[in-house]
Amino acid sequence: MASSLSPECTPLKTTYDTCFNAWFEGYLEPAVSKTPAERTAYSKEKADEFEQKCGKVWKDYKACVQNAMKASGLEGALQQARDEHSLAVPPKAESSGH
Amino acid sequence: MHIFSQLFQYEHPWSHVVIGMWRKYPNPKCTHVVSVDVIDRSVDPETGIIRTERILGCKQKAPRWVVKLFGGSEDAFVREVCFVDPATQDANITSVNLSLSQFATCYEVVRYTPAGPHRTNFSQTAEVQARTRLWQTAANGLEKWLVQRFEQNAQLGKTAFTDVLRALWEERHGHLQAAAA
Repeated sequence: MASSLSPECTPLKTTYDTCFNAWFEGYLEPAVSKTPAERTAYSKEKADEFEQKCGKVWKDYKACVQNAMKASGLEGALQQARDEHSLAVPPKAESSGH
Repeated sequence: MHIFSQLFQYEHPWSHVVIGMWRKYPNPKCTHVVSVDVIDRSVDPETGIIRTERILGCKQKAPRWVVKLFGGSEDAFVREVCFVDPATQDANITSVNLSLSQFATCYEVVRYTPAGPHRTNFSQTAEVQARTRLWQTAANGLEKWLVQRFEQNAQLGKTAFTDVLRALWEERHGHLQAAAA
């Protein structure tokens, strides 16, 4: 797995990525095949499961990487990028051209 | 403004491509990406859409005049926001540079959508735009350089990810077959 921008965060990042990847692989294919009626219950269940499985290491990793961002002086540029494009919701899907 | 775009198909189902997406780096064909960090992630408990915000750290050898004029360094950072929507089978990844962003922006959108059960469409567009009318000549040169870098890296990225997907899924199918035997 790729390193963190700060070597001290890499062990936490590796644990977090491993946790996410394991969860995501279990999540994705069933999620694709759910009917609209089943989707909400499934999404809620899996969102809770993700929090329960990976929430703790995420908290530690996030704190570490936030400090690293501060130390690298990237916060200002990140804030500017977020102000210009919040990307809080998926960008309007254009036709994929196929 | 310079625009770049390419379309391509991966010989893997959409879900395999999207699972593989998180394992693209580190990659011997994309050594310019040296770090990847998740800075925010949410799973929407209603729609099941996963939003991931990441910071990619890259090492790029910039031409000396770029470094001199714009004060850039070898370390460049990119913000990437990725949405995976299992309901519509759409993965949408938007990236913009954080480094040198006061001078020029490279805004990239990548999408993965199914092309039948065993193939996945990949589309990539990027707009490179200088921010200021001052330094127009230099900024145009910077745009051109960024587009060249982008094109080179886009080609590398494609073949690099093809390798990752092949290794990941061939290995697993191998295990499955071995287990079934």
